[in-house]
Amino acid sequence: MHSTASHPRATRLRTLALAVALALGSFAAQAEEFVVGSQIPLTGSLARVGNGMLEGIKVAVEVFNARNTGNTIRLEVIDDESVPAKAVAAVEKLAADKVVALSGGYGSNLIGPASEAAEKAGLTYVTSGGVSDELTRRGLKHFFRINNNAGYAKAMAGLFEEMKLSSVAIVYSTKDATEGLAKAVAADLEAHGIKVTLHAFDPAITDFKPIINKVRLQDRAEGIAMVGYENDYVGILRAAKVLKPSSVKAVVGVWSLATAQMAQEFPELMPQVYGTAMLPFPVEFKSEAGRQFATAYERLYHKEPDYLGQFGYVQSMLLFEAIDRAAKNGTLAKGGLSEELRRTDAETIIGQVTFDANGDNPHFSHRMGQHQNGKVALVWPDAEATAPKQFPGVPW
Amino acid sequence: MKPIAPVAVLAAAYLLVPLLLGGNAYLMTLLVSALIIAGIALAWALLGNLGGMVSFGHAAFFGVGAYTSALLSMQAGLPVLLAIPLGGLGAALAAVAVLPALRLSGPYFALAILAYAHIFRILATELKSLTGGSAGILGIPGLPTLGGLELGSRNGQYLLVLTVVLAFIALYRAIWRSDYGLALRAMHDSEDATRVVGVNSTLLKAAMLFVSAFMTGTIGALNAHVINFLDPDYAFSGAWTIVPIAAAIFGGYRTLGGPLLGAIAVYLLDQLLFKALFPSGHQIILGVLLGAMILLSPNGLLPWISRRLQRRPATEVRHAAA
Amino acid sequence: MTELILQSLYSGLLVGGAYALIALGLALVFGTMKIINLAHGELVLLAAYVAYTAESQFGLNPLASIPFALVIVCASAVLVYLLVSRIRVNRELNSLILTFGLGIILTNAVLIVWSANIRSTSSAWLQDAVVLGPLFSMRSEVVFFVLSLALAGGLWWWLSRSWYGRAVRAVSSNRDAAKLMGIDPVRTELVSFVVAGVLASVAGVAIYSSSVIQPALGHALTIKAFIITVLAGIGSMPGVLLGAVLLGVTESLTVTLASSALQELAGMVLFLLVLFVMPNGLFGGARRRG
Repeated sequence: MHSTASHPRATRLRTLALAVALALGSFAAQAEEFVVGSQIPLTGSLARVGNGMLEGIKVAVEVFNARNTGNTIRLEVIDDESVPAKAVAAVEKLAADKVVALSGGYGSNLIGPASEAAEKAGLTYVTSGGVSDELTRRGLKHFFRINNNAGYAKAMAGLFEEMKLSSVAIVYSTKDATEGLAKAVAADLEAHGIKVTLHAFDPAITDFKPIINKVRLQDRAEGIAMVGYENDYVGILRAAKVLKPSSVKAVVGVWSLATAQMAQEFPELMPQVYGTAMLPFPVEFKSEAGRQFATAYERLYHKEPDYLGQFGYVQSMLLFEAIDRAAKNGTLAKGGLSEELRRTDAETIIGQVTFDANGDNPHFSHRMGQHQNGKVALVWPDAEATAPKQFPGVPW
Repeated sequence: MKPIAPVAVLAAAYLLVPLLLGGNAYLMTLLVSALIIAGIALAWALLGNLGGMVSFGHAAFFGVGAYTSALLSMQAGLPVLLAIPLGGLGAALAAVAVLPALRLSGPYFALAILAYAHIFRILATELKSLTGGSAGILGIPGLPTLGGLELGSRNGQYLLVLTVVLAFIALYRAIWRSDYGLALRAMHDSEDATRVVGVNSTLLKAAMLFVSAFMTGTIGALNAHVINFLDPDYAFSGAWTIVPIAAAIFGGYRTLGGPLLGAIAVYLLDQLLFKALFPSGHQIILGVLLGAMILLSPNGLLPWISRRLQRRPATEVRHAAA
Repeated sequence: MTELILQSLYSGLLVGGAYALIALGLALVFGTMKIINLAHGELVLLAAYVAYTAESQFGLNPLASIPFALVIVCASAVLVYLLVSRIRVNRELNSLILTFGLGIILTNAVLIVWSANIRSTSSAWLQDAVVLGPLFSMRSEVVFFVLSLALAGGLWWWLSRSWYGRAVRAVSSNRDAAKLMGIDPVRTELVSFVVAGVLASVAGVAIYSSSVIQPALGHALTIKAFIITVLAGIGSMPGVLLGAVLLGVTESLTVTLASSALQELAGMVLFLLVLFVMPNGLFGGARRRG
């Protein structure tokens, strides 16, 4: 009895020990830590967006390492202070520290020179912070991005076209990203027979009443498109609330607008305003991958993920998965990472992602959200909508 | 000590630095950036010391030089090494527009020239057909290879920018020691007196403005071919004025070597030390340094160091020189 | 078109009122001490952030936060003066650089304390529309325009009628002679810095109430204030008000008649034109040529 009982136990113990030894052995043989660099603005004019993206990148590291793929990722971050020369220096420092790839970058004027430095060092560079067309026109071999101007223009123009407006006034900042997007939206709308007027403004402007008054009295536009940043949106919406242009049926902006933060800080300005948004607020994820991201984000930062974090997460996750694949098929050490990343075809929380020869994501199309009763609902395209749009509707 | 020190410094700068640090691309990039700041700081100090004018808008010349050189090399197809001095000339040409401001004194001149920097930035944004507008210019050609020396490499960039800055110091020194330099320095004490002696003060001041603009423009052009990128906000950024002023004041803007020393000290301290201590807002230390320097040693670090050295016994001085 | 231009003139007038608030303090110190306080814009910004904290933490209306802003900003202004007064040599140039450094310190302190996020009032009362026939504005703009007129008037009265005001003018025209007449120049200069702090406090709250603030704004405010001081001519307080309105109207008319992209350009060109053509400013008499 005793011996028959002890025998299986001993066997079980031995098996367990063997399993542990095997696991440890395989762990020691396979598990490798790869260092990924991040050159990103944490101070200076792009501090806010840079920090937002970094949160997403860090969440990606957490989620990836928890997957037990056998490989782990460690992050090395350098603040480029929103200065091009320092972005180049950061990439070179990271290259000297032997990172395997780079995930980060914000602003086309920083990503441009930084990604050229990465190209020289043969390092894969993936970002979501630069949407201008010039970046992918360069034909770099190691440059990748998951979003682009075209996807923003597609969403903004698509929403206007669905509304069947006859005329739209585009009010845009003379910055790089905003100007390029405004021109693209204008071309798209005009191709659909919508009358467009363009109002460029200097980024230093604070009183928008003279501009909105032109929209009200001269253009008599049915829609206002705002292409700027948070402070511009606030100025434009306040001017519009005062002047109440009666012809306007919808006010549509782009990034940093259909966000939880804007809903909370400027509740009186936001009702019915549209902006690009990948996710509704409060966040609801349909997919398992999305829930995984949201849980990790909540645990690390105790708040809802915003669009900067979402993009930072997706770009990093795709990169980490490519590193994992390349490490396993042995091409990583031979400089095959960019090739491996180009094979990506993934369904992510920002939609399908693939990369073309220039590193651009041809599938990228943004979604449009609308501020509704202190929340943000997705209203375009229909396939992603969480609520019907409240149209016509303006904050005044 | 006197004849040995400059030779030792030159040898260290040309041989020791590339040999010891050449393998570290990051440090070399920092040094190139510091030398760019040094070049502007030097031009700024020249205008202050010899022209008697404080400028808050040297970014205007920096940006014009950068754009001129970038466009000449890309659209007119000029060789980069020819386009760079032409960038300097372009900045000097832009200084013609600033000439009316020479009649202004002190703070009026300082801020009038700042207005020029703003105007040039807006023009660069609006003249889209020429400058590419706010989208800027990507892919500006880098420095070429000259007689086997790859100027486009980090070490090559370092050696070229260093040489240009040192050449500017030599030019500055030559003007300083010339009769014109004497007249210019006398002008600070009494403008009326120099007029009596028959010195045309406005003409001399204008000449100094051109020299300073040329230097700043050349440096701007060099930087454009090092960074390979330009846009209006970057080319005319206030940082091209602020950091060089801080560097020149810190090092001692009344001396020849002060701006160079100050630029290297301020830039490297800021990037290697302050940045690590204060990840966000480390420029605050720059402000503290600037304020402290004006209050404690208005003539800067270099005069302070040389005062300290002179007080020491001779043996120690020899030690310091070697 | 008439309606457009009328509204544009009205907008420019109100913006000018806010500009005047920012410029008065700078012009006062410049008039008294021949010192341009390059940290003045940062003092204005500090007041704006005090109003933000008062509103977001304690639910105070921005107008009610003015007393708190006064305490903090005036104390900072005194600190600036104490540092500037330590300069012994080449005061005109060195004070320029010192206050420039102080501005950098303040900007980064604001960044560290309040982060880079944009802020503005959430008071619905201040943002409500005020409609006068064909003219539209926010209530905050009207409130602070009236405050600006009152402060400019008060300042003018103070400088020309009160004992301290006369002392300030005496010190500014001849420091040594004023000393002989029993005026303490240090105390007088200190008073003018405190008054500049008061003006900066109101200006900061005005900016927070009608537009958006962020840490890098201070430098731009200083430049606007200096442009207006030049337009006005040194020492002319009514001139500051008129110069500010002229700048505001030029900017808004540029938007209406030409393009909004050229607004800043128009302001700078106006500044240079006045500087070159009327070097004594539109309303001043002092000499500023080299």
